[in-house]
Parts: sequence; C-alpha cells; structure tokens
Amino acid sequence: MNVKSVARTSALVVLLVIVLYPLVWMVGTSFKPQDEIMSTVSAIPKSFTPGNYPDGWTHLDVNFGRFFLNSTLVAGLVIIGNMLSCLLAAFAFARLRFPLRGLWFGLMIGTLLLPSHVLIVPQFILFKTFGWVGGPFPYTPLVLPHFLAIDAFFVFLMVQFIRGIPRELDEAAKIDGCSPYGVFRHVILPLSRPALVTTAIFSFIWTWNDFFRQLVYLSDLSKYTVPVALTQFFDSTGSNALGPMFAMSVLSLLPVFLFFLAFQRLLVQGINTSGLKG
Amino acid sequence: MSSTSDSGLSRRQALRLLGGSALAVPLVLAGCGDDSGSGPSASSTQPVELSFFWWGGQARADLTDKALALYTQKHPNVTFKKTWQGNQGYFDKLATLTAGGDAPDIFQIDDNYLTEYASRSVTLDLTPYQKSGKLDTSKFPESLWKYGLVDGKLAGLSFGENTQGLVFNKTLLQSHSLPEPKTGQSWEDHIAWAANVTQVTGTPGTMDPSGSYQAFWVWLRQRGKELYNGKQLGFDESDVTGWFELWKGARDRKATPTADVIHEGNATDITKQLVATGKAGTSWVWVNQMPELKKATKNELGVVAFPGDTKGQWARASMYFSVYRGSKSKDVAVDVINFLANDAAAGAILGTERGLPSNLDIRASVANSTTDQAMKQSISVENDLGKLFGQPPAVPLKGHSKVRTELVKAAENCQFGRATPAASAAAFVTACKAAISA
Amino acid sequence: MTLTRTSPVAASQPEAATRRGKPKRREATAGYVFLTPWLLGLFGITAIPMLISLYLSFTNYDILTPLSEVKWIGLANYRNMFTADPSYWHAVLVTLKFALIATPLKLAAALGVALLLNRERRGTGLFRALFYLPSLLGGSVALAIVWANIFNRAGAFNAVLAIFGIPGRGWATSPEWALETLMVLGIWQFGAPMVIFLAGLKQVPTELYEAAAVDGAGPIRQFFKITLPMLSPVIFFNLVLETIHGFQGFTAAFVVSNGTGGPVDSTLMYTLYLYIRGFGNYEMGYASAMAWVFLIAVGLITVVLFATGRFWVHYSDEDER
Repeated sequence: MNVKSVARTSALVVLLVIVLYPLVWMVGTSFKPQDEIMSTVSAIPKSFTPGNYPDGWTHLDVNFGRFFLNSTLVAGLVIIGNMLSCLLAAFAFARLRFPLRGLWFGLMIGTLLLPSHVLIVPQFILFKTFGWVGGPFPYTPLVLPHFLAIDAFFVFLMVQFIRGIPRELDEAAKIDGCSPYGVFRHVILPLSRPALVTTAIFSFIWTWNDFFRQLVYLSDLSKYTVPVALTQFFDSTGSNALGPMFAMSVLSLLPVFLFFLAFQRLLVQGINTSGLKG
Repeated sequence: MSSTSDSGLSRRQALRLLGGSALAVPLVLAGCGDDSGSGPSASSTQPVELSFFWWGGQARADLTDKALALYTQKHPNVTFKKTWQGNQGYFDKLATLTAGGDAPDIFQIDDNYLTEYASRSVTLDLTPYQKSGKLDTSKFPESLWKYGLVDGKLAGLSFGENTQGLVFNKTLLQSHSLPEPKTGQSWEDHIAWAANVTQVTGTPGTMDPSGSYQAFWVWLRQRGKELYNGKQLGFDESDVTGWFELWKGARDRKATPTADVIHEGNATDITKQLVATGKAGTSWVWVNQMPELKKATKNELGVVAFPGDTKGQWARASMYFSVYRGSKSKDVAVDVINFLANDAAAGAILGTERGLPSNLDIRASVANSTTDQAMKQSISVENDLGKLFGQPPAVPLKGHSKVRTELVKAAENCQFGRATPAASAAAFVTACKAAISA
Repeated sequence: MTLTRTSPVAASQPEAATRRGKPKRREATAGYVFLTPWLLGLFGITAIPMLISLYLSFTNYDILTPLSEVKWIGLANYRNMFTADPSYWHAVLVTLKFALIATPLKLAAALGVALLLNRERRGTGLFRALFYLPSLLGGSVALAIVWANIFNRAGAFNAVLAIFGIPGRGWATSPEWALETLMVLGIWQFGAPMVIFLAGLKQVPTELYEAAAVDGAGPIRQFFKITLPMLSPVIFFNLVLETIHGFQGFTAAFVVSNGTGGPVDSTLMYTLYLYIRGFGNYEMGYASAMAWVFLIAVGLITVVLFATGRFWVHYSDEDER
C-alpha cells in the first residue's frame, strides 16, 4: 500500500459517495410510509416501513415477479438480436470493401440523428400494417427490429472496436486461405468479446428502461414489462402508491445491476494478441 | 412556387408521390375510422369484445373491473379487454393508438382534451343516443351533461362531478389557534388571512395560484368574463394584468412562498402540492382530490370553495367516457357507459372514486354509504357548493393545454421577477390567441 | 487453424496480382451478405417511418386525423419555426448550452474514472459496478422525485453547501440553475461511456506497454504515447455519440422539469420542446419539421467531427483512412 494507491482509493471512495447518494436516498425512501415521502428530505425514514416491498409485489393483479420475467424476456431477445445483426454489419463496414459502402455508412449514422418521438406514430402505423401489434406475442415490434441491426449505436461501436484489431491478423488468415467468412469466424469473432459484452450490457439496460415504446405496444397487464407496470403505481391526478412504487423501482435495479456485475467480468480480461502469433 | 421539371412533374408532386408511395399501405389501414355500420345492437346476443382504456390507480381499476363484471353478468355475450395505467403517457398512448386506427372502443378522457379529440371526429357523436333515450342523462344535473358538448354535439358522457376546492392544512391552523378559511371570503381577505398565517406559523399561508388556470377561470367568471367565449378568448390583457398584480401584492406581503417553492406547487402532480408537502398552508385543486392529498401528509386537511363569489364555480365533469367513432360495436359500447352511469348497482360499486356520481339518485345513495371521512367531507362540500354554482362554461377549446402551460410560464416569469405583470400578461395573451387559432 | 505470421507482403504479391479480380468480387459479395440484415432493417423498418415523418413535416398532421386526410402546407412549419417561434430559438440555445458544457464534462469524468479503475485489484469490479449504477436508472417517476428532493431548497445538496458556508437555494426550481441541475443529472450518468472506455482500455495490447517499459518510458509517457492513441477510436466513438446524445437529451429534461421544460422554459431542451409540440399540442407536423432540422444540424456537426477525426484518431488498420 503506497501513497499513490491510497490516494487513488480515497478519490474513488469520495467520488462514489457523491455519485451514490441519490440512490441511497431512493433506497431509504422506499422504506418510508406514503405520508413521509413527499414531505421529508432526509434519506432515513422516520417510520421504517418494509411493508412497501410486499405491498408493491402484490399491488397489481399480477405479481411483480411476472413483470421482471417479461422484461427479462424482451431484454434477452434484444441482446441476442443486437449482438448477432450488429456484429455482422459492423464487420462489413470495418473490414470489407464493397460498392456504396460510404453511402450506407453515412445513412447508418444518419439513422441515429432523428429524434425518436416523431417516429413513434409512423412506426406504430407501420407495425400495425405488418400485423405485429397485439396478439399473443405483443413483443414483436419491440424485439424483431433488433435482429435487423436497427441500433446504429451498436453497429458503430463495433466498427470502432473492430478497427482496433490489427489488420495483420486478417492478412495472416487470408494467406492461410481464409475467405472473408473465414476471417470473420476465426479472427474477428473471437476478438470481439469486449464489443459484444458492451453491446449486451447496454442492450439490457436500455431495453429494461424503455418506457414509452413498451407503453404504446403493450395493453395486456400480464404482458407488461417493468417500466409500464411502474406507471400503474402513480397517477398524478389521483391515487398513488408512492411507497410501493419506490420499493419496486429499487427492486427493479437489482436485475440490471446483477447482470452488469456478471458480465463486466468478461470485460476484465484483456485481449493479448501476442497469443495469436507464432 | 413549385418548380416544374422537364418531365412535367413538379417538385411538390414528386415529393407527394414519394410520401404517397411510402404511405400507400398504411393509409389503407389508417383510413379505417369511419361511420360504416354501428355493429350489433345492445340487445343482440352476438359475442362482442369491447376494449376499454382508462387512467387511474389500482383502486379505480378494482372498482371498474367489478362494475364491468356486473355488465357481463347481465349480458354474457359481452366481454371486455381492459387496459389502464397512471396518467403519465396516457394521452400519448391514446393518440398513437388512434393514429393507427386502433383506438379503444371506450376510453376515459377529460376536459383538457375532449375538444381535441371531438373536433377531429375521433369521438362518436352521442347526441342521437341521448335523444332516443339509449343514453340516459335525465337524472344528471343539466349543466353537468352539457359540459360534454363540443360544437353542439355530445362528445363524452360526463362521469363524475367536481369543482374547485381550496384545500388547507387544518392541523397547522388549529395548533396556532388561527381561523380556517371560509367559503365566500373575498380574495383580499384570503390574502390578508394568509399573510397572517405566515407571520404566526412561519409556514407560508397560501400557495400562489397565479399559474393555476382553474383559479384564474373562477376569478374571471366572478368578474363577468370567461376563459373562452365561443371560439375566442373570453378575457383580455387588462384582466390578466390585474390577476398577476393581485398575486404580486400577495407575494410582497409574504402571504405566499418564494418563487422556487411556488414552482414546485405549479406542477399538476397531486403529490407535489404544497399543502401535502407542508410548504404552504393551502393548495388550489379540485374538491375530490382532497382524500388523495390527505394520504400524502400526516396533517388534517379541510376544504372550502375558492375565494370570491361562489357563482364563479361550476359543476365540472371530472372526466368523461367517450366512444370511438370507428368502433365496431358502437351500440353496445354506448349501452355499457349508460350502464356504468345509471345502473344503481354499478353506481354503488364505482362510488365516488371518479368524482361525485353524475346521476343524482346514485349520488344520494352513495354519499350515505361511504365510510372514508375525507371522502365524506369532499362530498358534503361539493353538495353545499352545488347550490351556489353559477352557469357552467362551455368545455375548453382546442389548444387549451397550450393555454394552460402558457399561463404557468407567464405567472412564473412574474413570480421570479423576470417580467412585470403587464409584460407577462401581454405575452400570455398573444400566445393564447395563437394557441386557439392554430 | 493456426495463424502464422509469415511476411504477408512478399508472399502474397505475385499471387494477388493474378487473382485480383476474384478476391475483390468475393469481398464485395461478402460485404453485401454481411450487410443483409442491416439493409433489411433499413428499408423495411427504419426508412419508411423516417420518410413518413419527412412528408409529415410539410403537413399539419395532428396525430388524430387519419394520414390520408392530412393537408399539405408546404414550408409553413419550417417558416414558422425559424421566424415566428421565439421558443424554438430558446430551445436551441438551451440545448447548445447543455451539449457544450455537459458533454465534455461527462466524457472527462468517464475517462478519468475508467483510468482509475483500469488496474485490476480486488474490489475494482465492485467499484466499477457501483459507479455504473446511476446509469441504470431510466427516466422514471422515482428518479424525478429523488432529483427534485435533493436539489430543492431543503435538500441534501444545500446541506452539503451549508458545511462550506455557502447559502443554498432551490436549484432545480429556479430558472437560473435548473439547467445546471439537468447537466449534473446528465454527467451523473457517466457510467455508460465509462464502460466503453474500460472496454477500449482492455483492448490495448499489453505487450505495447511492456515494450515501452523496456524502452524506459514512464507512466505519463506511456499514457500519451500508447494509451491515448490506441484508445482514440473509442474516444472518437464516445465523443460522437455523447455529442449526439447531448443534443438529443430528453430524459433528464423531462425528469427534472416534469415534462414542462420549466421553470420558465429554462430546461426546454430541443427534443423536449419537440415532444411538447408533437404530443402535447397535437402539432406533429411541426414536430416533424423540428426533427428534420435537428437531423440536418446535428448531421453537419457529426460530419465535422468525422472530418477532424482524420487528424487525431489512430486506427490499427491505417491503410483504410
């Protein structure tokens, strides 16, 4: 333990306290009774109300665990879709030469730029035309587009990561007779782990928190996801269940947090390209 | 202004063609909201599934479920696909569903948006049903069902009555032996009362309602003006200036909190109202919101009318049920809302959760049977006030939501001292004129 | 299959000369094969709604009127936006202010903390996850309440300031400071770019550091000569995306102002104003026009970023750009 590492650790701890205080406040508030939540400021409840948790769990006709499952299902599918389709597209943009590549790349970045609120209504009408809205699997409009690399963010992310992989490795593989498909399979794919893990993490979190689109496409209580279910605790014109809402909000942080904890280990191992030589 | 290329297709036409071809398929579907056929009649036994969309909390959902189950009991061929949520995002979703031709058969709506939907022919015209008696409003106060008229047509069935209510912190006043506000006090008296409360208790006496459209509306009516007059504004700049100056005076006398705290109370959110968060002695809300405010604080609350002549207030429909014009089972849908409003058993189930029942007979029986003290109090206040109401105004115009937000903005400009009352008033009136004429 | 590092240039040149046509065509075909899902997504799912919204920007679409009945009004929306709507320019200013201040700060925080966390020792994983926690919160009602509470007059932030003797005020509720609380909310969620930086740091081959250490380079030299250049593609990515996100910032503004852009429009970010006009006032045609102007403006900024990126971003596949 030298001075530098003590200094580093202290800086981290101070930063952490500042950064986490709002969350601490949230957790504390989840244990407050309804008549304290809006009228007190401290993070510590005056009357400890753990009942908020079982209340929130059973508050709606379907218990909250169901919503966790639904959100996990949707997020899981989105992750798979994103990882698959975006990596394929990114490989093409980063490593292959083909006519109009610049145009497609520009268009891809362009799709990131349009504010999403003006797309909601046209997309809804489009998906309705496809017959994806409602029905026994209402998650289709939320999930299927992600199998078609709709998230330019991840395509661009992976392009940048792939471009960080030394070209010599590609060349070496080509010398050995690899086709582009082979290069993908034997060079790029194994080395794309940081990019894929990052994609998985972000896909999970964004899908987990995606309120508006899930609200629009889901109308059946048993199919609701977490953010949609949480709106049922809070009606700003009338009745609210603030305590249970905070409790369930805190609880819904857990899966995302655990997912992140688990996957970030995979970010830990660096890539050591020297292992591929010789 | 459109250039014509050699091929004879103008730029405008080309663009339209582009847009048109992209729209071709969705257009076919989106044009589906028409009047063709009203579907099975209410008395047929054909299986019918109605979609029903409302906002509220779990309590309202439970009651609505029960009431609808009662209807299914009486009409076993009719089932419901129920969707409900808190009101955040409710109208965004309703609009999106409507755009896709997928609006629910029956939906809940309020006077902020009724005109928006009705003037674009999204709501079914209920007048024929009312005339034929299929939709029975005979037991409703006349002013209440008339509040659902848009351009002379009945666009929504008023469901639940409320009126403006000044909610105050009883506990605070009692602990300092201060008098409670009374119905019929003048605005000046109220401000003086509030200044006194601030001095004695340290808590600001009253929330500054200069950004509250309901307070402004009442104040206007007490002066013989209205918020809207036909298709125009019912007031002018000098009225607004007077209103803002009244409250500037109140702020100067410290009868109200400081501007930043007022801002918190300007939110439409019930949970943020200052009387509940303890940052002021009163909040300016609707009478039937008092029980909910009560839940958010440990203090006792009371409610009276807004200051001034009570004729300024009116029987407002707290919400409506409307039927989608493109519904495939219009007759059944109308029958359902008629049932919810007029059937004694359904009325008993639904209680006062959405406001005072519109049907006066049901209202009387429900008022007797409720056990919630806060609810009892708000009912009796509403009933007492009901004898003193003036003639109701017409339901707000298209663009009303913009008028509301502009009022908050203008009031806050004043409250934060960034503009004089006169300047804010001028800006407000200009913005309103643009909002309702668009 | 083993990858051997023979000298590629000498061996492949004669062969490549004879087979140039075939590999090139094969590569082009492969390019399109790999791109197929994305192309399907572009044409089937993204392009149509985008084109529809472009069309709608020339109409008075109000969501509730069927698409087949909207009225074409030409450039009226655009004209009104630029000449008759002071709130529009106000929103532009608010957004510029937010993006130009919050984005660099957020990136700096992300990079700084990523560097601090890059050393692997026990507990680093937990630290990393804890710093990431704020980014896990979406734009929920709960977060809105939390933020309002911490930054209002009686809240924790003022309590801390009081320790240093600085008088407090209502931060999120006063027009002078509401935007700053919004920036703090944006910067607070730096976990996302931080994770990307971390991943990028992990991708820097360790043998480069080893070689530099052998050559006698200290940690600062290593940072500037190895870390920064090798990290530059990722820095570039974060810069472009965070800039775009900064301009698009909706959630934080919605949360802090309860969807109003208040107090007195001090937090009226461009996309929030767009949402209010589109869904709040049912003026979706106008909102669409705003969206397309936004696309062009931010697109231009992005092009500038890409153009300047040429000068400082170092790619391992240098022959490309």
